[in-house]
Amino acid sequence: MASRLRYLLGRVLIYAVLTAGAVGMAFPFYWMLATSVKSPQEAQQAVPVWVPERMKPKNWQAAARLGAEGGSRLFGGFFPGRTVRFLIRTEGESPPPRARVPKPPGAFHDPLSEGTRIEVRRVPGGWRFSFTNATDRRFRLLPVVIYLPKSYGAFSPELAPDAIRSAGDYWRLEWVNLSPGLFGYVFHNYREAWNAAPFARYFYVSFVTAGTQVLLGLFLAAMAGFAFARIPFPGRELVFLLFLATMMVPGEVLLIPNYILLAKLGWLDTFYALIVPWLASVFGIFLLRQFYRSLPQDLFDAARIDGASYLVMLFRIALPLAVPGLITYGIFSFLGAYNALLWPLIVTQSPEMRTVQVGLQAFIGEAGSDYGQLMAASTMAILPIVLGYFLAQRQFIEGIARSGIK
Amino acid sequence: MKKPEHLLAPALLGIGVLAFLAAWAHRLAIGAAPSAGIALLLALSGFLLALYAAPRAGLWGTLALVAAGAGLASVWNANLALFTVLSGLLLYLGLRRRLPEPAQAAFWGWAFVWPSLALVLVWHVFPSLYAFYISLFDRVSFIAKSRFVGLLNYQILFHDPLFWRALSNTFWYVVFTVPTGIVLGTLVAILLNERVRFLGLFRTLYFLPYITALTAAAAVWMWIYHPEFGFLNWLLGTPGFDWLHTPDGVFGLLLRPLGVELKGFLAGPSVAFVAIMAMSVWHLLGYNVVILLAGLQSIPRQYYEAAMIDGATWWQLQRYITWPLLSPTTFFLAIIGLIGAFQVFTQVYVMTPTGGVLNDTLTVTMYLYNKGFRDSDFSYASAIAVVVFFVILALTLLQKRVLERRVTYGE
Repeated sequence: MASRLRYLLGRVLIYAVLTAGAVGMAFPFYWMLATSVKSPQEAQQAVPVWVPERMKPKNWQAAARLGAEGGSRLFGGFFPGRTVRFLIRTEGESPPPRARVPKPPGAFHDPLSEGTRIEVRRVPGGWRFSFTNATDRRFRLLPVVIYLPKSYGAFSPELAPDAIRSAGDYWRLEWVNLSPGLFGYVFHNYREAWNAAPFARYFYVSFVTAGTQVLLGLFLAAMAGFAFARIPFPGRELVFLLFLATMMVPGEVLLIPNYILLAKLGWLDTFYALIVPWLASVFGIFLLRQFYRSLPQDLFDAARIDGASYLVMLFRIALPLAVPGLITYGIFSFLGAYNALLWPLIVTQSPEMRTVQVGLQAFIGEAGSDYGQLMAASTMAILPIVLGYFLAQRQFIEGIARSGIK
Repeated sequence: MKKPEHLLAPALLGIGVLAFLAAWAHRLAIGAAPSAGIALLLALSGFLLALYAAPRAGLWGTLALVAAGAGLASVWNANLALFTVLSGLLLYLGLRRRLPEPAQAAFWGWAFVWPSLALVLVWHVFPSLYAFYISLFDRVSFIAKSRFVGLLNYQILFHDPLFWRALSNTFWYVVFTVPTGIVLGTLVAILLNERVRFLGLFRTLYFLPYITALTAAAAVWMWIYHPEFGFLNWLLGTPGFDWLHTPDGVFGLLLRPLGVELKGFLAGPSVAFVAIMAMSVWHLLGYNVVILLAGLQSIPRQYYEAAMIDGATWWQLQRYITWPLLSPTTFFLAIIGLIGAFQVFTQVYVMTPTGGVLNDTLTVTMYLYNKGFRDSDFSYASAIAVVVFFVILALTLLQKRVLERRVTYGE
């Protein structure tokens, strides 16, 4: 009985420690996701907001209806001739509220306010605001500010405001977009971040870089690894020793000489600079060599007797059997290329050649205090890898584990 | 390898690649070696080889000879040296029916290795030597010719307080993050190995940070560390504490209430740097867990069962079976961790772009980056790189000496 109790206690302890650790590991992700759907005011609360307004189904409904009135149910917008009707329930009698469409700060802005007709009408139980797009232009957002006298006992807007501030005798209620549509509401920060910096281009550069590096790198490593594992050619030991020696040199040492070399070639700020220096990976060659060596030699002897050349042996026998090894190395080199910051930072100058990580690093400086947008951008930056992980979980874990077995 | 002519084709391949590289080195004016002469010599010897072999290889041999001749023109255009490589291929095609097994192996072996070898030579081997070479000059730049100054850069480096600051910071980073990561990783791996339910879920949660890009992760942690709105300050009830801009050393802070004042190196890493280390351990833990879990699963169950029959407690099982049999894995992680930690850059650069208050988070790689790419002093930066290489080498060897004696390689 006592041992049974001790066993149970032990189990409970194991799960408690593991769960506590897992919560700690996962928390930054939760915090990133939660912040990425927060308005600036929500993000900047002294007491953390655990469930942001944009995650509440009550608001989703209102956002979808308002979006449908302004443009589209899912993506919102403020189309020509459309009218967005918005209700704030109030209790008691007080002076009427005022509404306006604010001009965004800065010299260049959507000329939105000149073309929007605003009506404020008393209806039973509250106030109804109508915003009509009287221009013939299509707007992405409908930012709105409503001043509501503080003398109302209580009030509840259909869509939770993004910010509530005190302005004299009024509450100043702010919406960054009163016609958001469902996705436009929840993913507002994502859309704004995407528009604030050329993320589409960043992703293109990153994927081309990482994809080319993986494909060409695999090809090179598959050939060289095969030669080292299965072809007895003169000089093999010597070349292998040279490769071993390069593994001792930390990547840091190569930064300056490779930069100079690229500059002399005129390759700075091009795809060549991002891809070519890291194409041949000694690590990948070793990994695949180990893999080929684990295949039975009889297989190759039989093929040789049947008259297969080394070329045929590599592509018909060795490669199909080494697919797990290829996946391991592919995952590794994609991770390395996609997540790298230092090298792309050094060899690229123009925004057109920035990878996602360099773009994100620049965005951190530009986003200022809009942490919602910053977290949205961070989420977008890690999304491809995390999605890849969930698609190929086993390969990821086994691949990493395999890399540790020497 | 009885007859020398069996090596003709692979030799032509090698000669062609080397001539190509030498011709490019000449064109880009890299280094002091007479690369034009070398390229010409190589191309010429390639041509002579082809001339010797052509009669034996029939029509292909003639084509190979023509190609080798075209390779001679690499004196005018570096890319033409590739014709010498082509001539090697053609020669093999001509001879392949008559070549014995070892000669075929020689050709294909080299043919498979050369693409990687050429890239490794250009982007790994040559730069390693070139880094040392340019560190001997006074401010190598693209504009002016620089002066040979011998070891002057190293001399300046050893009296550079910023470099010592960066080195000691990096030292603390290694000392803090590598053991913490291994100990925590071992704990989690041992618990996960106790046949828990939801193993996949737990593993995913511990592993996700590792595949997350450091730039994005650093942005998230900056937000958690934010002095006004950060989550951590709310959690600890320390509103307004600016984690990433506090340069006081942690040992100094801890011992101050006891009346001990520590200064400089002994004051330990700054609060800001420890905050960055915490983030780094979070990032790397998943890797350690996965590797250690694989190591644990390769320990035979019978050992535990036998020990349990003998009445061993859980703690004894871990101490006398798990720990020694896991030591090769732990050792591997220590080496890999040391090399990686010594080159830490990304998270430090994102979280404290200027190297922190009073350079309290300046690491060696960041100092190298600043010197090389902000001050454009390639020579000085290369000197840093060379010193880093030797420091890492020394630490790795030391670790091997000290730790490997305690490693038990099973079976």
